[in-house]
Amino acid sequence: MSFEYSVTYSAENNYENPVENAYWQFLIIPENNDTQELISVEIKNSLEAKGGFSQNGFGFQTIRINTSERFQKINFSATFKLKKISFNPFGQIPIFDIPSNYELVKSLNFKVDHEPYLRETKYTALPAGSENLFVFDTSISIFENLQKLNKWIYLFIHFNTGVTHVNTLLEEIINNPEGVCQDFTHLFCALAKANNIPTRYVSGYLHQGNGYFGDSQMHAWAEAYIPQVGWIGFDPTNNLLVNDNHIKVAHGKDYNDCSPLKGVVYSQGANKTSHSVEVQAEQ
Amino acid sequence: MKPEVKKPIFSSYINNPALFDEVFNNDGAAKNVYQKLLDLYGDHSIQDYVQLNNKAKSSFFNQGITFQVYDNKETQEKIFPFDLFPRIIDEDEWEIIERGAVQRSRALNLFLWDIYHDKKIIKDGIVPLDLISSSANYLHQMIGVDPPGGIYNHISGTDIIKHSDGNYYVLEDNIRCPSGVSYVICNRTALKRALFGVFNHYKTHSVTNYAENLLDILESVKPKGVDVPNCVVITPGMYNSAFYEHSYLAKAMGVELVEGRDLFVENDFVYMKTIRGPIKVDVIYRRVDDQYIDPLEFRADSSLGVPGLFAAYIKGNVCLANAPGTGVADDKAIYTYMPKIIKYYLDETPILNNVHTYHCSRPNELKYVLEHIHELVVKPVDEAGGYGISIGNRLSKAEIKVVQEEIKQNPRKYIAQPIMSLSVHPTYIDDSESFEQRHVDLRTFTLLGNKKEFVLKGGLSRVALKKGNLIVNSSQGGGSKDTWVLKK
Repeated sequence: MSFEYSVTYSAENNYENPVENAYWQFLIIPENNDTQELISVEIKNSLEAKGGFSQNGFGFQTIRINTSERFQKINFSATFKLKKISFNPFGQIPIFDIPSNYELVKSLNFKVDHEPYLRETKYTALPAGSENLFVFDTSISIFENLQKLNKWIYLFIHFNTGVTHVNTLLEEIINNPEGVCQDFTHLFCALAKANNIPTRYVSGYLHQGNGYFGDSQMHAWAEAYIPQVGWIGFDPTNNLLVNDNHIKVAHGKDYNDCSPLKGVVYSQGANKTSHSVEVQAEQ
Repeated sequence: MKPEVKKPIFSSYINNPALFDEVFNNDGAAKNVYQKLLDLYGDHSIQDYVQLNNKAKSSFFNQGITFQVYDNKETQEKIFPFDLFPRIIDEDEWEIIERGAVQRSRALNLFLWDIYHDKKIIKDGIVPLDLISSSANYLHQMIGVDPPGGIYNHISGTDIIKHSDGNYYVLEDNIRCPSGVSYVICNRTALKRALFGVFNHYKTHSVTNYAENLLDILESVKPKGVDVPNCVVITPGMYNSAFYEHSYLAKAMGVELVEGRDLFVENDFVYMKTIRGPIKVDVIYRRVDDQYIDPLEFRADSSLGVPGLFAAYIKGNVCLANAPGTGVADDKAIYTYMPKIIKYYLDETPILNNVHTYHCSRPNELKYVLEHIHELVVKPVDEAGGYGISIGNRLSKAEIKVVQEEIKQNPRKYIAQPIMSLSVHPTYIDDSESFEQRHVDLRTFTLLGNKKEFVLKGGLSRVALKKGNLIVNSSQGGGSKDTWVLKK
């Protein structure tokens, strides 16, 4: 079974002083994968500035906007229509050969192949002494451990907006466990990696029809690589396995590789950016 | 009137037998290749030499060839000290250097291809995974990317020394943005102006063909589908210490010198702004570091780069030389694996020796280093320009303690090597108004293109001007000499 989503992303940028020239890169387009298919993209900006498609360094499609006339305010919006195939996240789970799975993740070849997603990054570095916050029980499968980790983080961090920001490091989260999806995801990545499981940060949209946390902003979750299966999505903010309410945009090592908006603005003074997201199911 | 007494130029030269003098044997006789030179200089007095040396120096002033030295407080504009007494390398010795430099460049290129593709050398246990995964210069964005022509290190600057055992050793392979080649050419110009009568007696290889070969190499790695590529040199700007070189190379190649703001990207193609409208750019010799080339992909606060450049690169629409991510192999910890890297990819024995290196990241070697600092050179793995180097036998006890603490704090950041006794070359010293022995090294320049390679027959002989000093980098107050490679 499949159904359609319509996703609208809007951003408004206000600048204290006139901007002569600016480049923006939006990493907000839903990717095409086994469970989702992009149908259409519609982009608008209030300045009618030149736009186009490109890609980021990890191959995800981006939208580029370049202005060359003076301005102090720009509104931007994009609407995506996509088809989502409904799936059962447990449907693809096999019977695990538990000891050999744990052996595999410790092998050199495995570590080399997954190096980017095993490496510690700025936002997934665990403060000294917290490497053992969550240690896998090797008598049960990696998949089960990751589900436990998912739940553990869901219970450990109290969802609260406005406490953390895009540059919050894990030390702060561990000392004061409050934050948003990004913080849940960074901690999940860090602790899964500490247990030798390649894990990546995913940004995307969440259809909130069922009262999930995620706000009217972009959402973040994690994907972990499980031997015998491949990449599986975990949403620690909602203690869920990723399902057909999750619309993936991009993945990377951490937020830094996935930030939805990057800009180079030739101007001085303060600026204010606000964005919002709306996801609608059209069955 | 009493005639002024003129001292012959080497009358007060002290030849320390403990050092390897490139010009004089221990018995005081000159080595073969220098005999003619000394005969020719023999007619001159030290006063004549000073006069000629000053004339040569003024040629640098006139050409505005300066560089900047950074320290904590201020930057200073300086003239690179030049010594008119040339270094001569005969054809047989040069052949070894040249073959060795090409061998290293080719091996490094294969290494880079491998670690950004199949990573076989790591899976085979030759190079530890940790050296890659802990390197800030390993760019994940480059994994699976095929650089045009398959080349990463188009330009390599290999630093070579002649040890007191008479053999050549490589100290470093510089493959980020090695500089110094413009000094090689300017040194030659200055020397020829001052001493054409002497230069003329030797059959020396030209160095002015560097720029045309560089252009050839750059054109050989043009993107697919481009017929005649438009090449440019991108510079961080006039405040960069090597700005003179950037402008020199652009001029000598007959291509545009640009800054980031002169370029823009549209639909993943790169264009140069000109008064006649945009012109597409196909190959960029970039003298801007990886982290600054594209604020949309790397450091967002960089104003030196071009927004969107990296996407244009990975789409294959523009070539960057050297390729992004090349710096991972420029790491001094990778250097220690060079003999193994050469063997692995080329199945050859290294032509040039490596200096034995201790990795502070390995516990037993760390222990050795901490206990033997007084007889070692300690270097940070990721700094260039001679910054952060400690030479053990020059340190006080208190200074050794500081270095030990520093290493213990961050062992991965340091390697240590035995203190190498660099060969010495007679160099005119202003303070004593005479020639004295000074340590020298040699930076060679190797170019690698699509089915093309080139080694500049010559190089930058850098002289440590302070007596006994072993650090020759210009940023540490080093000077330079013209280097003659003789023809067969």
